[in-house]
Amino acid sequence: MIPVGVLTGFLGSGKTTLLGRLLRHPDFARTAVIINEFGEVGLDHDLVAVSQESFIELHTGCLCCAVRGDLALTLEDLLARRDAGTVTPFERVVIETSGLADPAPILHALMSDGGLAARLALAGVVATIDAVNGLATLERHPESVKQVAVADRLILTKTDLAQAQSADLLVRLATLNPSAIRLQASFGDIDPACLFDTGHPASLHAGNAPTWLGFDAHAHAPKPSHDAQVSCFAILRNEPLSAVSLTLFLEALAEHCGGDLLRLKGIVNIAESPDRPAVIHGVQHVFHPPAWLDGWPSADRRSRLVFIGRQIRQRWIEALILAIEAEVAEVATLAA
Amino acid sequence: MSDELDEALSALLAQSLDAWRLTGEINRQGDAALLIVAGDKRVRIARAPAGLPFRWAVADGERTRGATSVVGVLRHVRAALDPSHRSVRLRIAPLPPVSS
Repeated sequence: MIPVGVLTGFLGSGKTTLLGRLLRHPDFARTAVIINEFGEVGLDHDLVAVSQESFIELHTGCLCCAVRGDLALTLEDLLARRDAGTVTPFERVVIETSGLADPAPILHALMSDGGLAARLALAGVVATIDAVNGLATLERHPESVKQVAVADRLILTKTDLAQAQSADLLVRLATLNPSAIRLQASFGDIDPACLFDTGHPASLHAGNAPTWLGFDAHAHAPKPSHDAQVSCFAILRNEPLSAVSLTLFLEALAEHCGGDLLRLKGIVNIAESPDRPAVIHGVQHVFHPPAWLDGWPSADRRSRLVFIGRQIRQRWIEALILAIEAEVAEVATLAA
Repeated sequence: MSDELDEALSALLAQSLDAWRLTGEINRQGDAALLIVAGDKRVRIARAPAGLPFRWAVADGERTRGATSVVGVLRHVRAALDPSHRSVRLRIAPLPPVSS
């Protein structure tokens, strides 16, 4: 499996600077890069040092709204060229999104294309946030909120310029996505090992699952304001959930929340598999199949679900689970 | 209808109206069916008669639709009360091999 990292962030937030630094690091020497540029004249490719043969630049517009198919075709072409030996046998792919991109359709393309999913594994989403303008950007541009909401890593850039604003920005980021690990990068300088190492449920095990889930981080997150469009909340369940209940629950979530469910991550105690918890991960209505951990990370065997969504009610989620479980229990009783 | 499921479905419907930003009431009828009244719309939810491949019957005006689960009930209720909603279906990504 070839890991694919998605680098997102609003216009001017430092994505290309970060990418340029990453590509100069020996660990990223065999990296194929896809840069999506908004507009007809590409500029970003002039700003990063990368070999021409492994460089794909899309000129068809913003990835988020028009070129999902193109992204899949581009990746297929890249893999074919790798197989044919006409490009360097790259060991990872990084997709830098347009600053105006909603990353969710990009993640859908990576998750739901059968041909790609057999060879490529999502290795995490990194979002850059400009410490100077980030707070205002989050207020004015919903795209930037979604970029933050779906990220595994939040990289605060230009911190040397904005100490006073950074505190408020950090609170806002913790409200939007408390489970994401927050790092700082000055002029793109960051340890590459801190990026693109998580995000795909298949790479999880009992040791790293709690960090990926970020449930503890959520417990300490600031409470969102009542008028917050995007908020994060967690649900904890003591009782195991049956497999059919989980299926029905995800089905209802997709139907009724759809695009408003920006991300759901969870570790679930499945009644039929008490010793091997299931990891679930979804972006909007598209979910990875559950990945089964080899064991519980700790003695705590409660199910933990972390939601990031737009105007999704925690009480509705809780009521939905209770109703589904009550029906499944009734059916089981009748069958017995 | 078991008491537990009865209460859970009623609570879910109440929370659903709130989540969908609809104003309405949920009342229990003499035959244990639930009646949702929201504006000029009325939706009645009852157990499906025996012998049918449904657990629920959701009546919206003259039309009655079957549902096999509370999730199906919720789908029909929303279609009746919130026709502008465009639901999407759950999509499960292909199963990739587990990385080492």
